[in-house]
Amino acid sequence: MNVQPDLDFIRSLKEAGGDTLKKCYQCATCSVICPLSKDGKPFPRKEMIWAQWGMRDKLVTDPDVFLCHHCGDCTTHCPRGAKPGDVLSSIRAYAYTFYGWPKPLAKLASSAKGLPILIGLPVVVIFIMWLLSGAMRFPTSEEFSQYGYQRFFGTWDFYWYAKNIFFIVLIMVPSLGLALFSSFKGISTMWKTMSEDAGLNKEYRPSVGQFLKDYLWPSLIEIVKHSRFRECTTNTDRVQGHLPLMLAFIGLAIVTTWSLLKNDVLGLIWPSLHGPMAITDPFKILANISAIALLFGVGVLWANRKKAEAEMNTQATFYDWFLIWEITAVGVTGVAAQLLRWAEMPVTGYIVYFLHLVSVMMLFLYLPYTKFAHLMYRTSAYAFEKYRQSVYATNS
Amino acid sequence: MTDEQGTSGAVLVVGGGISGLTAALETAEVGNDVFLVEKGPSFGGRVAQLNQYFPKLCPPSCGLEINFRRVKDNRKIRTYTMTTVKAVKGGPGNYEVTLETEPRYVNSNCTACGDCTAACPDETANDFNFGMNNSKAIYLPHEMAFPQRYVIKKSALSPAGADAIKAACKYDAIDLDMQPEMFTINVASIIWATGWVPYEPTKMENLKFGQSKSIVTNMMIERMAAPSGPTGGKIVRPGDNKAIDSIAFVQCAGSRDENHLEYCSHICCMATFKQMSYVREQYPNAKIYVFYIDLRTPGKYEKFREVRMADANASFIKGKVADIILEADGGVTVVAENALTAEKITQKVDMAVLATGMQPSLGLQDAPAELNLDASGFIISDFDKAMISAGCAKKAADVVTCTQSSTAAALKAIQVSRR
Ligand SMILES: Cc1cc2nc3c(=O)[nH]c(=O)nc-3n(C[C@H](O)[C@H](O)[C@H](O)COP(=O)(O)OP(=O)(O)OC[C@H]3O[C@@H](n4cnc5c(N)ncnc54)[C@H](O)[C@@H]3O)c2cc1C
Ligand code: SF4
Ligand code: SF4
Repeated sequence: MNVQPDLDFIRSLKEAGGDTLKKCYQCATCSVICPLSKDGKPFPRKEMIWAQWGMRDKLVTDPDVFLCHHCGDCTTHCPRGAKPGDVLSSIRAYAYTFYGWPKPLAKLASSAKGLPILIGLPVVVIFIMWLLSGAMRFPTSEEFSQYGYQRFFGTWDFYWYAKNIFFIVLIMVPSLGLALFSSFKGISTMWKTMSEDAGLNKEYRPSVGQFLKDYLWPSLIEIVKHSRFRECTTNTDRVQGHLPLMLAFIGLAIVTTWSLLKNDVLGLIWPSLHGPMAITDPFKILANISAIALLFGVGVLWANRKKAEAEMNTQATFYDWFLIWEITAVGVTGVAAQLLRWAEMPVTGYIVYFLHLVSVMMLFLYLPYTKFAHLMYRTSAYAFEKYRQSVYATNS
Repeated sequence: MTDEQGTSGAVLVVGGGISGLTAALETAEVGNDVFLVEKGPSFGGRVAQLNQYFPKLCPPSCGLEINFRRVKDNRKIRTYTMTTVKAVKGGPGNYEVTLETEPRYVNSNCTACGDCTAACPDETANDFNFGMNNSKAIYLPHEMAFPQRYVIKKSALSPAGADAIKAACKYDAIDLDMQPEMFTINVASIIWATGWVPYEPTKMENLKFGQSKSIVTNMMIERMAAPSGPTGGKIVRPGDNKAIDSIAFVQCAGSRDENHLEYCSHICCMATFKQMSYVREQYPNAKIYVFYIDLRTPGKYEKFREVRMADANASFIKGKVADIILEADGGVTVVAENALTAEKITQKVDMAVLATGMQPSLGLQDAPAELNLDASGFIISDFDKAMISAGCAKKAADVVTCTQSSTAAALKAIQVSRR
């Protein structure tokens, strides 16, 4: 076999926390230790040698790379300090950039060097929107206590659709739309190559319904239950952070969907639905609980990460920290904005709310290129695994 | 040149294994006085525990007995068993060393007739056989022990036992009131040949040593295979004495592992090949599985490997055993990934042998002098200070390499004594 190592690839792995990969001497301890590695095709030993050989194409289409939950059991037992868990994580970081579209944005989101632009872009966009909205002023105390942030982008007489919502939708929907498009593109490419590599039955194409029912839904159940996370032994604390965080995101997604529905659809029929939710509104309660869960969860993960860096010598990487910072920023600015409203401090309140919008936009816009992308890619890998094992796919 | 005959040119050799014996002989045969001190009750070190030793697969007696004879015949060597170094003062050329001898409770009247052992009612775990059987509380360290003198493990001896053995000894050799003795000697240089200990197998938690009798170490296999060993030379599963239909060798058990011994122990691959022969002799059809990362056969030992790999009933799997599952029938299943086929292997066997490595003795003991130890506990020679290491105290090695390094150490020690 003639291997042409992709040196740039190896270099990026090193930057993303995989600097120990060359230490691996292929003893295969890790593949046996890994609680998630299945009997058929154990990992991460094979990924380690592919990485050493710079076999980029093989790795970015290897479902096992995405199935790894970075629990660190392999790293604890590795006799060479090659940290296979960290290496796999760096391969994922690479893969998200690799699949990311548009490329320049994906590249930008992959290193701390891009940070000024990564923050600057949403700041400018939202600021311009603020200018365009014509609302660019701080509210009086009365306005603030009555409307809160409801008139951040001003208000108009068009009764059916609030101006504020209009602007928020204008900012967030394209951001999320781009993210979803990019993820979809990446995942399709990945899925196709994965199927080819696995030598699956080409004749078989599941219907959308079948795909959802047989592959995606069971995967989601498993993910929500954190079944695989719980099989880890080294880093079990992470479930305590990741679970509340995930539930928080689900909660916030529900609240957002409801408020979109309420304002954009139902509001057209019953205009009285416009306006801030009361603190006793069940959706508001859900929003607040989610916010607390989010801050708690990200706090646990933050502490865990620090601990791993101190105790297991895990390299501090932009890839890992950027997502933690982003989520923390969303949570802190969100909660602070609400507190400032209660405290009746319009100016600071508006500034914090602005930052909140910035951080939310960052989370959406950079979703497919940052660690947040695991949401899409790992779920797909779960589904792919089930697909691969299904009788339809293997009966050729 | 100083007076070669006087103690000023004397050399202390610490450790009486094959390396210490060699260093002592080489030094004394040039004409220097030698003090040879050994912590245990007899000389010979770990080699005495082996059944046979490669490359020639001769019994240890063939190497040790000739050395014992030469030591006995050499009037320049003074030997001390049950003795350790307590303190070292002074400098190269004139070290003053304090030694302490533990009580043996048996004096030089002992003729090794064995009457006491026959009469002794008390038993104790036999450490020489890694606890696989018991010995009496008064015992001969092993068959070819030098000196041929019994020793008492006093903690295991009951008052009744004490009376019985005293009554049985016709030579009045038993002295239960013996006390530790301290004394000092003056030497020019010190050769450290303190050797190695088997790496503690329970430290590899995933290999479950101690949780099943079917998990043994390579040194236990040596003792089982030895005619004088606990099973009279039969390799059987401890506990139920089951004959072996299948056996797995788990290479690098603790060696080449940052979490345990970070270096290669150098001999365990060879030891496994050797032990494959022991198994094959006793069980012509037994299945043998060797799980390895790399098979290391330094130098001319490559031939040795080729012969074992031609065995049709032996499989070699490239992948380290990282988990062992206990089975209800007393056997075990070893788990590894075959790195050549990328398949997970689970192999059920009657017995699993952990090829545990060699840890330098001083990695566990406190060094009694200011010695330059590396991170693992191997001694780095300091020629300026006349502190010289030899054998496995210096690095993990086979007997041939140990004797070579011991001869080299002897030369260095002599050079200092004549500065
Ligand atoms: C399973 C196995 C099989 C092997 N088979 C072979 C083989 O077939 N062929 C081969 O060439 N090699 C073999 N070896 C290697 C061989 O055992 C070593 O090379 C040899 O024992 C080294 O001798 P040594 O004198 O350096 O150390 P040791 O044999 O360990 O002797 C050191 C001596 O020093 C004493 N001592 C320790 N500390 C002190 C102290 N503080 N004060 C006084 N005395 C002390 C000890 O009691 C011991 O008697 C094998 C090793 C293993 C693990
Ligand atoms: S990563 Fe570590 S445990 Fe895994 S094969 Fe390499 S050296 Fe062995
Ligand atoms: S000799 Fe073989 S088994 Fe022993 S540590 Fe070295 S490579 Fe591992």
